[in-house]
Parts: sequence; C-alpha cells; structure tokens
Amino acid sequence: MDFIYDIFKNWATRGYLPSIFEHTFMIRGLLAALIIGPLLGAIGTVVVTKKLSFFTQTIGNAAMSGVAIGLLLGEPVDGTYAGLYGFCLIVALLMTFVKNRTRLANDTIIGVVLAQVLGLGIILMIVVTSQFNIHQVEGILFGSLITLNDQDLIALTIASVVVGVLFAFNFNQFMLASFNRTLAKARGLSPVFLEYLFVTLMTIVVVSSLKLIGALLVLVLIVVPAAGAQLVAPNLRWFVWLSVIFSTISTASGLLLSGLLPVPSGAVIALVSSALFYGALVFRPLLSRSGPNQGEI
Amino acid sequence: MSSTEEHNLLEIDNLSVSLRGNRILEDINLRVKKGHIHALTGPNGAGKTTLMRSVMGGMPHKGTIRFLFRESTRIGYVPQFLEFDHSVPITVFDFLFLMLKKMPVFLARRRTVRAEVEELLTATDCAHLIDRSVGQLSGGEFRRVLLAQALSPKPELLLLDEPASNIDEVGIRHFEEMLINLRDEHGITILMVCHSMNMISRVCDAVTAVNRTIFYDGPAKGLNHADLLQQYTFL
Repeated sequence: MDFIYDIFKNWATRGYLPSIFEHTFMIRGLLAALIIGPLLGAIGTVVVTKKLSFFTQTIGNAAMSGVAIGLLLGEPVDGTYAGLYGFCLIVALLMTFVKNRTRLANDTIIGVVLAQVLGLGIILMIVVTSQFNIHQVEGILFGSLITLNDQDLIALTIASVVVGVLFAFNFNQFMLASFNRTLAKARGLSPVFLEYLFVTLMTIVVVSSLKLIGALLVLVLIVVPAAGAQLVAPNLRWFVWLSVIFSTISTASGLLLSGLLPVPSGAVIALVSSALFYGALVFRPLLSRSGPNQGEI
Repeated sequence: MSSTEEHNLLEIDNLSVSLRGNRILEDINLRVKKGHIHALTGPNGAGKTTLMRSVMGGMPHKGTIRFLFRESTRIGYVPQFLEFDHSVPITVFDFLFLMLKKMPVFLARRRTVRAEVEELLTATDCAHLIDRSVGQLSGGEFRRVLLAQALSPKPELLLLDEPASNIDEVGIRHFEEMLINLRDEHGITILMVCHSMNMISRVCDAVTAVNRTIFYDGPAKGLNHADLLQQYTFL
C-alpha cells in the first residue's frame, strides 16, 4: 500500500494534486471513494426501481449495533468486521424474509425493523461506551477518514470487486424482477431468489462504505445520484451511467472538500450529491427530450 | 395415443386447486387442440386466472397437466395488467433487451441487438415504438409490446390473460388480427382468458366456460351467448 501512497504524495508535492494529498488518510479516502462511488451509483438504480431507499437506511442504522456486537464479541476496535457485516446481513435478510412471508407493505416492515435496530443500537452503545473508545462508533455514524485504515480499504476493494461482478452479471434479471415480478416469473426467473441476492450485495456495499460516508448519510449516496439520473436519463443505459457519474463526482469532490474544510466527509458528499440532483432537475428539459419524467415543475 | 389425442397440445385431467381451505377449481378436464385459439371465460372470481397459473406451473394443484410438445419449448405468457413504476427510464428496446439477453443492458452494444428486437416488434406491428418510454405507451400499445416479448423464444403455446381489457375497439380489432396471424402464419396455439363474447366469436375456435368447475366446453361458433350468461347467473 505504501508504494501507492508514495505515488500520490509525489504528485501532491509536484503540484499535480492538491497539497492535502500529502496526507495518507486523504489518499486512502480518495481511493475508497473512487472504488465505492461508482458501485453505489450503479446499485442505486435498482434500489430506486425496487423502492428500497429506506431499506438502505435501516441497514445503515443496524451498523451501530453491528459495531457494538463486534466489540462485545472481542473483535479489535478498528476492525469489527464480523459484527458489522454479520449483523447488517442478518437484519437485511430478516426484512426480506418478512416481506416475502407476509402481505405487509415495504415501508411497514422497514418501520418495524428500524425501530428494533435503533432500540438495540442505543442499548448496546450505552454498554460499549463504558468499555471502549467511542471514536470508532462516531466514525461509523458520520463517516470519518481518520478511522479508515488499510484493512478497511482492502476489505472494501475485495467486496467491491465481488459485488460489482455479481451485480453486473445479474443486472438484467434484477431490473426485470424489480420492474414486474409476475413477468419475471413467467420468463423463468425466481424473483424471490433475486431479491435475496440483491439485498445481500447491497448490504455488503453499504457496510463497506460506512467509514467513508457514515451510517446516517449512506442513504444519500445510494439514492440521490440514481434519483438525479432518473430525472434526465432517456433509457436504462443512461440511467446507470449517469448515476455512476453523479455518484463518483459526489464522492470524489465531497472528499476533496472535506479535506479542505473541517467537516466530516459524509456530510460534504451528501451536499454535493444533492446539488447534482437539483442541477439535473433544473436542466432536465435540456438534457432529456423524450424521457418519462418530463412533468412540469 | 389416439388420433384425437395427437391433435391436443394441452391436456388437463381432474385438476383441482384449493387456497387457504377454499376450493377455487374442481374437477377440471380440458383439452386444447394444436393450432386453436381457445378461450377461457366465466364470471369474475371463477378461477380462470388460477387455471392459467396452474398451466404455467406457478400454482400447487391436484390432477395432471400434460403438454404434448417438447419440454424444452417455452410457453409464452402475456399478463393482463403489468403494474410498474412509470418513472423508471426504460424504453421498449430496454424492456425487451432485459428479457432476451444476459449481457447487462448498460454494457451491451445496442446496434447488434436492435435488429433482433425490431424483428420481434414487427411481428406484433409495433416496431415504431422501439425507442418510446414504456411508461408513455397506451394500453393497446403496451399490450402489443407484451405480446412481442412472449414470442421470443418462439412458443408452442401462448397464454393470454384478458387481452381485450383496457383497450379501445380499434385496438381490440388490431389485436385480434395479430392473434389470427400468429395462429395461421406461425402455427402458435393460444389459450386466453377473455370476457368479451364478441372477441370470442370473432377469433376463437373453442371456448371453455368456468365457474369453479366447467359448465361449457365446446366450439366457439354457434355459442349461445344468452344461455351462457344465464348459466353465469345461476352458478
């Protein structure tokens, strides 16, 4: 990893990059942003189509409990991976299971589970803050480049490659099952299996991005770029690529600004992402002539 | 196999379906002949869609359903109503691409697939809709696009769920011509749920009226509408 950091530091010294990239944590943050940003943008298109936006928020909130469970299970303070990924996956799969076994509406199930994970999270936080450094938990909640370490970057890279390949390979099926389950079934697909698979992939990406963006704001980066792209895209191809572009710009420029200003990276990424959304809203008559979202403002 | 059976494409024997303790279908015996347009009719809640789903393999049932064609051959299906989010930017091309190809739609070279999609849409007389957003299509236009997707890969048996609903008279006539063309030119057998007696008498070869059990099964020509309606009322 030091070899890569040295290249960036060299560029920063020569003036090719802003001087803040002389700091290792900023280089690490930029690499994480460039890896996870495009993937969040692409996955966001299916999240928006499946109306799973607040499902993502619930997973983010479950992360608070996940970190606490990891600490209580004896994981190192800067690497609570089993607690974090394990608990968030259990919550995500539980919500999908309840959804497929009942006729409850999506938002009702999310409301029920959100209340549970928040309640559990608060109790566990009180237990662990008396024993551990609270800084790691803050990093998960709001996003913190300082707590992002080499291990996190490696985990994020591996997760992104695996999820990216599986997501791309199954994209058409995910989209068809999201568009209409009956038709997907008639075409020989299993919408239930596809839903479990997508939710698993989405949870891995969301959890991997928590230290960069924060549990409270991860919803923004998975939903807002896709929503902006939805406004102006004339077809599915542009929907995905615009969402990827918006998400990458948001993560990279948000990270850069957070290095210049004394604010958490997640907050700036959220604001840049929102600015792009409103930009798309204002310029959509110029950008799209035949898209489906041409209502009057 | 008798000569009569040789001409059957679908044979259903003693089929019954129960949902949560309620008997939806009982003792259904049905033969659909190859090259026929066969209508399933009956009052609302009679079990027509359940029968269709059983044929598609998506409904637990008692009794036997036999297809007298190669197992690898697909059954095409055109749903009655497709509920979807109209704000999703998906064109007719994208919609068909999702079903025809494994390569992700955002990575594929569209030109190579476009001719294939156009050919499919031409079969249902809607090639001009290829770049239109699916959310902007009229009921009749969308029904033709749905019919196009059901034709690839070419099915031996095509199932249609109330193809005439939410379409104006001109659209219905247009749709009927396409069904006749699919039967006569492409040799596709069609089983469709239909409430329109006019449509049944114009395009169908056979009709089966269902209300939990079968109360009419015979040729569509010469079908007495008044008698059928009376049975709807008394059953």
